[in-house]
Amino acid sequence: MAIRENRTLLIFFYVFIGVFAAICLIPFILAVSGSLSSEAKIAANGYSFLPQGLTLDTYKFMFGSKSDEIIRGYLNSASITVLGTVSAVLVTSAYAYVITAKGFRFRGAFAFFAYFTMLFSGGTLPWYILTTKYYHLNDTLAGLFVPYLLNVFLMYLQANYFKSIPHEVVESAQIDGAGHYLIFFRIMLPLGRVGLVTISLFYALQFWNDFFLPLMLVTDEKLFTIQYMMYYMMANIQFLASGNASRISGALIAPPLETAKLAMTCLTVLPIAILYPFLQRYFVRGIVVGSVKG
Amino acid sequence: MVRRNTFGALLALVFTLTLVLSACSSKSNEGGAAESSSPAAASSGAASTAASSSDANDASKADFSEPVKLKLLFYTGQSKRMAELASNELKDLVKKEINAEIEYVYLPWSEYGGGKTDLMLSSGEEFAAYTDINYLSKSVSKGLYADLTPYVDTYAPDLKSNVAAASFDAFKQNGKQYAIPVGNRASSAAFYSVMVRQDLLEEVGMTTIGSLADLEQYYDKVHAKYPDMIGFASTDATYMLMYEYTDQNLNWINNFIAVNEAAQDDKLISWYETPEFKKYAGLMNGWYKKGIIPKYAVTNQPQLMSDWNAGKAMFFPGTATRPIEGIAGITKAVPTAKLQNYFLSKNDRPKISRGTYNTAYFVSANAKHPERYVAFFNLLQKNQELYDLFTYGIKDKDYTIDENGRVTKLTSDLFLDDWMMMNDKFMRFEKSVPDDFIEQYKHWDDDAILSKTAGFNFDNTAVKNEESKLNGVFTEFIAPIASGFVDYDTYFPKALDKLKAAGLDKYIAEYQKQFSAWYANKPKS
Amino acid sequence: MTEKAYPTPKAQGRSKWLRSLRNDSSLFLLALPGVIALILFAYLPMSGLILVFKNYNFNGGIFGSPWAGFDNFDFFFSSIDSAIRATRNTVMLNVLYMLTGTFFSVALAIALNELRSKGYIKITQSVMFFPYFISWIVIGAILFSLLDFEKGIVNRMLEGIGMQPVDWYAHPWLFVVVLVLANIWKSAGHGAIIYYAVLQGVDTSYYEAARIDGASRWQLITKITLPMLIPSIILLTLLSIGGMLKGDLSMIMGVTFLNPLLLPTTDIIDVFVYRTAIRSGEFGFASAITLYQSVFGLLLVLIANKLAGWYDRDSKLF
Repeated sequence: MAIRENRTLLIFFYVFIGVFAAICLIPFILAVSGSLSSEAKIAANGYSFLPQGLTLDTYKFMFGSKSDEIIRGYLNSASITVLGTVSAVLVTSAYAYVITAKGFRFRGAFAFFAYFTMLFSGGTLPWYILTTKYYHLNDTLAGLFVPYLLNVFLMYLQANYFKSIPHEVVESAQIDGAGHYLIFFRIMLPLGRVGLVTISLFYALQFWNDFFLPLMLVTDEKLFTIQYMMYYMMANIQFLASGNASRISGALIAPPLETAKLAMTCLTVLPIAILYPFLQRYFVRGIVVGSVKG
Repeated sequence: MVRRNTFGALLALVFTLTLVLSACSSKSNEGGAAESSSPAAASSGAASTAASSSDANDASKADFSEPVKLKLLFYTGQSKRMAELASNELKDLVKKEINAEIEYVYLPWSEYGGGKTDLMLSSGEEFAAYTDINYLSKSVSKGLYADLTPYVDTYAPDLKSNVAAASFDAFKQNGKQYAIPVGNRASSAAFYSVMVRQDLLEEVGMTTIGSLADLEQYYDKVHAKYPDMIGFASTDATYMLMYEYTDQNLNWINNFIAVNEAAQDDKLISWYETPEFKKYAGLMNGWYKKGIIPKYAVTNQPQLMSDWNAGKAMFFPGTATRPIEGIAGITKAVPTAKLQNYFLSKNDRPKISRGTYNTAYFVSANAKHPERYVAFFNLLQKNQELYDLFTYGIKDKDYTIDENGRVTKLTSDLFLDDWMMMNDKFMRFEKSVPDDFIEQYKHWDDDAILSKTAGFNFDNTAVKNEESKLNGVFTEFIAPIASGFVDYDTYFPKALDKLKAAGLDKYIAEYQKQFSAWYANKPKS
Repeated sequence: MTEKAYPTPKAQGRSKWLRSLRNDSSLFLLALPGVIALILFAYLPMSGLILVFKNYNFNGGIFGSPWAGFDNFDFFFSSIDSAIRATRNTVMLNVLYMLTGTFFSVALAIALNELRSKGYIKITQSVMFFPYFISWIVIGAILFSLLDFEKGIVNRMLEGIGMQPVDWYAHPWLFVVVLVLANIWKSAGHGAIIYYAVLQGVDTSYYEAARIDGASRWQLITKITLPMLIPSIILLTLLSIGGMLKGDLSMIMGVTFLNPLLLPTTDIIDVFVYRTAIRSGEFGFASAITLYQSVFGLLLVLIANKLAGWYDRDSKLF
């Protein structure tokens, strides 16, 4: 009986996951096939699962006229993602450790101090004035990740992982005379590895996907990230297609091509789609090693 | 108990901290303001008039002795050729002509008239960018634009003679020039014409369109042949159908207010309360039911534009220049496409010009050298040679000109957008543009009158609240009626109640008050 | 699993209150980088909240602009009908998103956790994450090709099985279902990754022990896996409650293009602000409403935090 129940349930799980994954995949197939189609066919028939009039023209066009920019965009995105993730994970996990430190009188205060910022924000104008006029982060590489070093949501997530580490471990180390630095670096970081892996993944995605910081702080094309280039294009499409442009001069400005939009989507997502399974394996191995060692 | 106390203490701590911090930042902010206050003060109010009059006294000649850096903001993106040109030929030219170095900055369109442009203005950065009437009056009331009045004569003499005075007037507020129009093109009757796919018209055996009946016949015939095509690729035909639903010559100041240009008075019309609006809504509802406006238009307006560009739509609101601006988009999908403007039952009613459909540049209030920006705008429209350089690039490298003066572009990279630069004196037509279009274009403004509202700018301070609420009512209740998605008789009474509740009467009364005062003092031409 | 490295202390009495000042100071230092980041990029900009009570103009700047008192709230209160509807829509959509999103995220995480084929897990997990990267504009275009009245795939399928086509974009309440599904599609994979990671950290010995006791797979899920996820579910829910009054403008814009017929259910606070205050350029109005969202969110989260504290002291946020 038990085995039969297991099997049906297991099959159900396989199907459930498979169906959901398939639904998630559909738009990508549409985007990839669209980016490989000819503009005229797409314009006439809309999206389809198979490329219509298979052609690499869109990519040729984009790489032909913009190849340097695209490569530079990738490099910028990659360096911001690596620098940002490493520093953000350190800042975040240290803060998370503090708000979970048992017996620390102000841990609630620190937790609230962070949480408060999730609710209240002063708006973009003061933020913009401060970052550009006082911190001088405009048109710098640092400006593209430093403002995001502490994501309160991820900090809480990490704190949650720290909480699940048995308190006895910390206590015994304290009795052995270990200070907070030692406990944090030698015990909590290794034991909280599952959490670290998760929040690094989210930080990496956040930095990779961000277009707000480049939009606000960067005008120098040398610092454009691939995601910002994507945003740039989408913003133009939305503006021009909505007819707002006629407010300026009654001008009729043709928006970028449909195929270019899809190709750009592919170009921003592709690296993640390719790297993710590898990173994931690395992450999963880290988790396994961590728990065996622990 | 203990816990509650700590929590209270904590809250107190956080708030004190915030207060302390904001106090600190207040100090630092004031410091910053003081640092940069001199140019701001110089360009605001009385100070600037003083400065300018001394300028004018000193020399009616422009002074370029000090080298300066200027920042020009554009939307869309920079092409490769433009970047090359900007760091070579253009750089040398600007240095030589006005002793300045220009930084060309590009932002996505979403930041136009708000977004980052607003942030840059509000935080007191120095730059210039293009603007429209709405954005101008909003920003001027916040003191964000520099007053450029004193510099026009001295620093932009060529521009002034090459651009119509009406365009200059349109960008004035309280008699001060807050933006400099660049470009001078036939701009009357914007959206009052129907831009038709002439190739389709001829394909179904028609030659011309002169009335609504013709237009609908054109739709029926093309629809019979190509049932997949949509008719009207927009949701607003207020202007275009005006000649059909009224004998007046209406013009709209904004969504809510119209004037009759045929009447010699200062009366403003509450547009939605007129029988003409009812008639218009009925026409649109008919179009919607018939499928001339596709069903999807309710939700997916961007799709209308894509369908138009894909050659899947029959007509669109026209302007004098749209047939040439729009053709490039369509010929990618339909190489044989031709566009032509027609008026429906216009008869002898004069075209209305507002003078505003030329691009104008503002300079931010904080700019240390507003005069040098003005001098730069002058370069854009100084003479044929510079116009060609900014619009088409380098001759024989980026474009060629044939014996008829037609231009052929050798690169697909854009320089400064030609819709922005367009000046009748300098503009060149591409080979594909038919001669009869050029003929029509040249005489486009011949029978135009300047709107009696031209140069009037509304100060919305007293009715900010009402204006915001009316905008809300408009998008939800009025727009669907005006676009014909829902039926006037059923939905209008409720929409009118909403408008009245939002303060329509007060809004119009305030508008009328300001307009009458302005109209009475307007120099009669 | 940690016992080996750090043997359980024999004496537990002398612990918390004997902590030295040196220990606490090192905690302050560990928190310092985070505190600086928060001060620089969150607290100092908060001085801008003062603008809500001011009539901002450029010459005065943030602190020199004239006081407006509560003028900026006038707009909000004088259009109270629309404001109440917007609040209702925001809360309604967010609650629906939260319930369905959590349900699917947890279900996916549990299912992933049960699968045995490593390759299958890896591929499906990556794929599930994809939608998270697609902008709402692209999603809007795809949805349109599915739901368009005349050419949409869904309606053609409905006709295929002899049913009446549905005008999805004209029924505000029907469209709520579309929005909820779109939200699940876009974010459930993302949530599942978090919960799955939590499950990866669960000690396998629990399962082994239970299995020896003869527990079925279903019992393992309900008795071990699910309880393991509860603290994380509570945490994520608590974190999202504060944002209950904030909505996703880009989603509504991208998916409905502000379709007027759908506004009865899609007019969330952010949309309302956009189509009234922002279109008129009245940022003072907009920031007044943002303040209302924040204060209301703070109240909600204080209440929720209290409730969580009663359930389990460790689940509290602060």
